[in-house]
Amino acid sequence: MKHRIAKNQRKQAAGWFRELGNFGHGKSRANMRVCLRERVGHTLGGRSQGTDSITPLRRLCLLSFLGVFLTVTTSAQTQQNIPDVTAITLEDLMNLQVTSVSKRAQKLADAAAAIFVITQDDIRRSGAASIPEALRMAPGLEVARIDQNKWAIGSRGFNGRFDNKLLVLIDGRSVYTPLFSGVYWNVQDVMLEDVDRIEVIRGPGATLWGANAVDGVINIITKSAKLTQGAVVTAEAGTDERTAESARYGGKVGDSSYYRAYTKYSDWEPTVGPTGTNASDGWHALRGGFRVDSTPTRADSLTVQGDLYRTAYGETLTVPTLSAPYSSTFPNSGNYSGGNILGHWNHAFARSSTSLQMYYDDTNTVDNSLFTDHEGVYDIDFQHDLHVGESQEFVWGLGFRSIQDSNGSSFTVSLKPNHNSLNQYSGFLQDEVSLFDKRLRVTFGSKFEHNKFTGFEVEPNVRFVGILSKNQSIWAAISRAVRTPALTEEGLQLNEAVIPAGFGPCSTSPFPCVVSILGSPQFKSEDLIAYEVGYRIQATSTVSADIATFYNNYTNLRSAEPGAPFVEGSPTPTDVVIPFVASNKMSGGTYGTELFADWRVVPKWRLVGSYSYLQMDIQKNKDSSDPTPDNPNGASPRHQWYLRSSLDLPKHLEQDLTLRYVDHLASLNIPSYYSLDAHLSWKPIASLEFAVGGQNLLNHQHMEFIPEFINTTPTLVGRTVRGSITWRFE
Amino acid sequence: MRKVGLLIVITCLLSAMAMGSHAAGVDSSDSSEYLIKAGFIYNFAKLVEWPTTAFPQPDSPIVIGILGTDPFGGTLDRIVADKKIDGRGFAVKRVKWSKDFKDVKDCNILFVSLSEKEHIDSVVEAMKGLPILTIGDAPGFAKRGGIINFTLEDNKVRFEVNVEAAKHADLTISSRLLTLATIVQQAAADGRKSE
Repeated sequence: MKHRIAKNQRKQAAGWFRELGNFGHGKSRANMRVCLRERVGHTLGGRSQGTDSITPLRRLCLLSFLGVFLTVTTSAQTQQNIPDVTAITLEDLMNLQVTSVSKRAQKLADAAAAIFVITQDDIRRSGAASIPEALRMAPGLEVARIDQNKWAIGSRGFNGRFDNKLLVLIDGRSVYTPLFSGVYWNVQDVMLEDVDRIEVIRGPGATLWGANAVDGVINIITKSAKLTQGAVVTAEAGTDERTAESARYGGKVGDSSYYRAYTKYSDWEPTVGPTGTNASDGWHALRGGFRVDSTPTRADSLTVQGDLYRTAYGETLTVPTLSAPYSSTFPNSGNYSGGNILGHWNHAFARSSTSLQMYYDDTNTVDNSLFTDHEGVYDIDFQHDLHVGESQEFVWGLGFRSIQDSNGSSFTVSLKPNHNSLNQYSGFLQDEVSLFDKRLRVTFGSKFEHNKFTGFEVEPNVRFVGILSKNQSIWAAISRAVRTPALTEEGLQLNEAVIPAGFGPCSTSPFPCVVSILGSPQFKSEDLIAYEVGYRIQATSTVSADIATFYNNYTNLRSAEPGAPFVEGSPTPTDVVIPFVASNKMSGGTYGTELFADWRVVPKWRLVGSYSYLQMDIQKNKDSSDPTPDNPNGASPRHQWYLRSSLDLPKHLEQDLTLRYVDHLASLNIPSYYSLDAHLSWKPIASLEFAVGGQNLLNHQHMEFIPEFINTTPTLVGRTVRGSITWRFE
Repeated sequence: MRKVGLLIVITCLLSAMAMGSHAAGVDSSDSSEYLIKAGFIYNFAKLVEWPTTAFPQPDSPIVIGILGTDPFGGTLDRIVADKKIDGRGFAVKRVKWSKDFKDVKDCNILFVSLSEKEHIDSVVEAMKGLPILTIGDAPGFAKRGGIINFTLEDNKVRFEVNVEAAKHADLTISSRLLTLATIVQQAAADGRKSE
């Protein structure tokens, strides 16, 4: 799998194992009693006693002692006081959590990139009901809600509804649409309980993932069917979410195959626009899917998975019209439907492994006022990993993607031609060499790809990781990435406004004038050279921190150059088009830094914090006549931070609080805001969980974004409360 | 651009500071992972039966060999130091890689460290037919012919057992061990992961 560089799972360290340690450490009788009452059921009850004659109490003490040992000795090689693990039964050993300090440090050190991992536990404890909500936990990522069913999500600047520099994959399947280069966030969903982790890579990942992995890559990875056995049923409702239900069942076939199937439905209330009126932006989504994981032979593993979905959305839309009053605002609606099927086969040889992945993804968009589009994507990828000698790992791969598109237009949005067929070929190779007793690792490689619009693209990178000591590492990288043109940038006509005949720039025309954004076959790829440096430390067994700094140098960024006006006879009445043509006359730099720190204050209390800074300096080139004032500089927050507290309370209660700050968006006139989210969950028995969550508890309402290109009315994000029940059984 | 330079300088300074400050060094041997794994190995020794020919004397110790980099850092030695199973004590030794594995042949348990993951096939080949309980620490060890392999799932230690390989080694594995294991061969009887 291509997410191999990103395996640094930020595993839930310690768990109850360290709790025990703390109880023992306190050495108070009262604590010990709590320890007994609380934990005896979990760890000892119902366990087979096996052949051991140790009493539960003695075993508990041993376990506590083990915990103390692990909490206290993080460095010194104690010659004594090693807990007698031989007195613990196999069954109890299997229940112990590994405090994988060194493991994690090593795995983090493995990655020469700014990687953050959102775990299943993070998602559950945050109360996130959708992928965009979960993504708010990734440091430095810009997540802004436009209306109830639309988001602007970006990394390291250039945020927008049609952010085209962030690649998103779900289980290895790209959900970045070649239509407008971006992601339909209201289509992308999974059963959140089955997510293993979301890996967020800030910065380019083009050498492995290819074009459009410019400013970031998001990998949403679901668990293997083997790890999702049994049933889960969830029900949720709240002030913003009318209802949401999901159910999953996982089982086993024969000795080596596992499956699961799920279905999920959610229905969201409309929100209010800036003037306080109902924005008609409610939506609902129904989806279902399956996954089968099998290991037919020792060396082979096979995955087949698929989903089907249908979502229907509303919005308030403003479009230009050719007759007075030349613009119209009304409640619009539309739907997305589609499905996908993916197969992945991995074969291990003695010193190498190969994988083959194929998928088909079908997306059908029907917007009742703007546009219809049907898109079919076939993708096949082959990858071969091999060890060369003692210290080299070589990976190469080949890929082919075919995109079939057919679309239908409106006066506002039209795309030519109406049928498109795009074939993309790619290959990559990457070598990873360990030097100086594995204290320095150098990774270098490149992607080579060919697309219909810009021909060959080369995306090389070189990355270094230096292991400074057992608990800290430093990394650096230089990479090139490209953002290839979308279909819309080649053949779009997007009518932004109509000027009545005889006014302003239309003063000499007998017909109304239409201000349009046009695609152009001359539009080229946008280019990035990125320089990154990062540092990670596991300062003590309870404190870790991570800092990443970057400078990105962009050239050939998209601008809108004025073209010669022309008369258009259709649609009637006749009009004059004042065109702004997609061109590549912007460039500049962005730089910033992202900081993340994690502190386990006491075993039951964890604090995490993040701060990110972004400065954008994107300018039109000297030869550009683009008159529009808005370049991307002010659409991403300069400062963002959050602080999250996760507290385990007695009686199986878990409480999470997140305070978030997002700086103002200068060019959009969006003020800065604070948001306080709270979540409380209670597990009276292992199979049942009740949760209550509140979002945006501090301020009544705030605006987060104003969308570009399409005039959807942005809405206010208000205070919301949701409650949920989750039931698990065999 | 000036600010970029500043940020880079700050990053470098931070790293320099951290390098100097010798924060608590975390050794793999301090991680609970290998302490727990040591506990597992002791339990394996209890639940596996060797043929009588495997020991020169009725009271000969159970010899545990660690092949490759020792991740236990002495923990294993200390854990089993004064333990006895059926009258047998323990001996732990570090074994070196050699063509004829002469160091290895008198072991009863051979722990194959992660550092040897390149050599799994040749280790397995060399151990074929010998009554040695091979325990691996690298993905795929049991699938490739090792007898037991450690895995981590959800931060908990799990293990796989290749029943066929155990049979070839003339070792009898108790059913209690097998019920807790993930069986990695189709020929496996009724072994199933617990939970």
